[in-house]
Amino acid sequence: MSLLYDEGQQAIATESRRVLEARVQTDQLLPLLERQGEFHRPFWDTAREQGWTALALPEAYGGLELGLVELGLIALQAGRSLSGAPFLTSSFGAARAILDFGDDALRGHWLPLLARGEAIGAIAFAEGQSPLPANPTVKFSGGKLLGVKDAVSAALHADVAVVLAMNDSGPVLAIASLKDVERIGFNTFDNSRCIADLAFNGAPATVIAQGDAALDAAQHILALQAVITAHEQTGGAEVLMERARDYANTRRAFGQTIGSFQSVKHRIAEIYGLVELARAGALHAATREGHADFLKAAAAARIQATEAYDTAARDCVQVHGGIGVTWEAGLHLHMRRARTLAMEQGNMLFWEDVLVNELAGENA
Amino acid sequence: MSDLVAYSEKANAWLESVAAEFGRSARKGLSEAEDLALGRRYLKARFDAGYAGINWPTEYGGQGLTHIEKVAFETEEMKFGMPTAYFGISLGMPVPIMMKFGSDQVFAKERVLKALQGEEIWCQLFSEPAGGSDLAGLRLRAEQDGNGWKLNGQKLWTSWAQYSDYGVIVARTDPTVQKHKGLTYFWVDMKAPGVTVRPIKLAGGDSHVNEVFFDDVKLTDDHRMSPVGGGFAVAMATLMIERYVATDSAGFGPHLDLFISLAKEVEVNGRPAIEDGRIRQAIARNYAMRNGLDAITARAMLMMQAGMEPGAEGSLNKLVSVRSRQRLSEMAIDLQGPGGAHFDEHAPVKENWQTSWINAPTGRIAGGADEMLLNTIAERILGLPQDYRPDKAVPFNQIPA
Repeated sequence: MSLLYDEGQQAIATESRRVLEARVQTDQLLPLLERQGEFHRPFWDTAREQGWTALALPEAYGGLELGLVELGLIALQAGRSLSGAPFLTSSFGAARAILDFGDDALRGHWLPLLARGEAIGAIAFAEGQSPLPANPTVKFSGGKLLGVKDAVSAALHADVAVVLAMNDSGPVLAIASLKDVERIGFNTFDNSRCIADLAFNGAPATVIAQGDAALDAAQHILALQAVITAHEQTGGAEVLMERARDYANTRRAFGQTIGSFQSVKHRIAEIYGLVELARAGALHAATREGHADFLKAAAAARIQATEAYDTAARDCVQVHGGIGVTWEAGLHLHMRRARTLAMEQGNMLFWEDVLVNELAGENA
Repeated sequence: MSDLVAYSEKANAWLESVAAEFGRSARKGLSEAEDLALGRRYLKARFDAGYAGINWPTEYGGQGLTHIEKVAFETEEMKFGMPTAYFGISLGMPVPIMMKFGSDQVFAKERVLKALQGEEIWCQLFSEPAGGSDLAGLRLRAEQDGNGWKLNGQKLWTSWAQYSDYGVIVARTDPTVQKHKGLTYFWVDMKAPGVTVRPIKLAGGDSHVNEVFFDDVKLTDDHRMSPVGGGFAVAMATLMIERYVATDSAGFGPHLDLFISLAKEVEVNGRPAIEDGRIRQAIARNYAMRNGLDAITARAMLMMQAGMEPGAEGSLNKLVSVRSRQRLSEMAIDLQGPGGAHFDEHAPVKENWQTSWINAPTGRIAGGADEMLLNTIAERILGLPQDYRPDKAVPFNQIPA
């Protein structure tokens, strides 16, 4: 995998951009903020129709056999256009858990459905404030799950979840159909993420990894998702940098465009720097899958991209002045999304510790 | 294995073979004069080994390769702490410009060969008391004097002028036209009568920059390297030559690994510093940022190998890395507690937090201050407006003071 995109990859970037820019408008996304349980259907329909759900899965299961670099490019564009649902990343994470750690029966059942986008996946590792608890409270016993997973993205619509639970001898990673699982939705500042608590009350599940291997597998799934999300965050930051620039080039004050003031132009130049660092870090991580330094690269990418998107959201609104805080301008869509993406799959605090453990040695 | 990887490995093997003689450990405790002498011997050895003027024509003693091999060699060389600093500017800008614009090419070739072998050093006389970033605002005068020229005025921040044999200089030949248009480019003999070099002691205690005074310094017209009034274009060409250089995401300060080692050795409030959240955050954020810079650099190398022009984002390295070095150095000194006050002003900045810290501001100012780089990004890359420029379209001698 190279740090230079080839022609096919460039075509994916161009085509996904064209399609999403044509089909996603701010005025469609704004109402979703005030409706629990809904997502932007045109986005998800587009993802399925374009084969993005199948992109990084093996051909044997209906996939297109591409990888993190290509899915990252789609995510980058989804970030620019504000993805209308979290399913691309959540389903990819679930599919990779099943593919990498599941048996043939699990693969044969779920992967074709996930590849076609007929099933939606979710990742249910977190409990309380911990993105990856070493001793989860959700119990796995007699083939069944018992307990509550907190604030799972995509949970309101997911068909299958990867659940980190505890049995008698330690943590396990299990695949569970969510058919009869209770989903407790609540209002969030970014409702199209379809976040809910998942209350397992004896739902059957299949273990795919146990003990330390379960935690390692969960960590690996988070890292894969983190690379995709880092691309999405980069895209969001990039589009905000462009909006800040465009506004600074047109809005006039004191007889000149506000982009003439260094306090404004330097702020935008700093966002540019963050965007390019995030872009390079994300692509680097995507090319390192399968190498010993993948976790380190994924953590670094995730941290840099989170910083980029949060900062871009903060500063882009600031450059816009009063209009930037209006509902209609929609910049708050990015403020909200910057924060939800920062929290999903482990926040900054989590990834900083992962990275330092990698750099300094686990028992440092 | 790619050709470039093979080239780098071979270079590394050679550097390894001479590291004991010229590298970091050999330089410990040397006076500057001794270090310079060692540097001259290193340049001779490097020339003999075929690693001098890597992307310069062979008829000028170069290797006739591309900037890709040059950057690859520099990247390897940087790891060994060789005594190359005295020759960096010389070989980076003035000497190649002499090669390209010198009117007497026999003379130029002689100079290039001597410079490549460390026998002669060139400096670049651009900045002045009245302007560094604003190069075209310079005031040093060159007046017609018979068939030649006469220089009067002052240059400032001239690196290694105290050891230089020659220099390239931009002077004002016509103050009655707009500031960019009244400049002319010359080379000067630094030992000529009327040239006075005074080293300036910098904050960290060393003196690699100078103020240089010119009092009726006479030049024949063959010292002129641009059309009269066409000096600004050659000055820009000088600065563009160094577009492709080895970068260092540590901002030419200590590697992050040294910070991590320190954090594992010391305690904060009775607990290992490496377990302290503030220290961990600094490590993680710096690593993530430098990882991004390294990926940008790696991608730029691949683009050059593929015959493409690297992206503008390469300009971020200097802006971002030196700032991070500055703050990380402060934190590393904090980690050492009151003992952080220990200071050895000659300790290498890539190994010592105190010298890294006190010399960091130079890195944020020299060769384009942070604010200039931000302007460049905003204007050239993002298309934001230029700053208000009251000196535009005004003859130099009518610019409001």
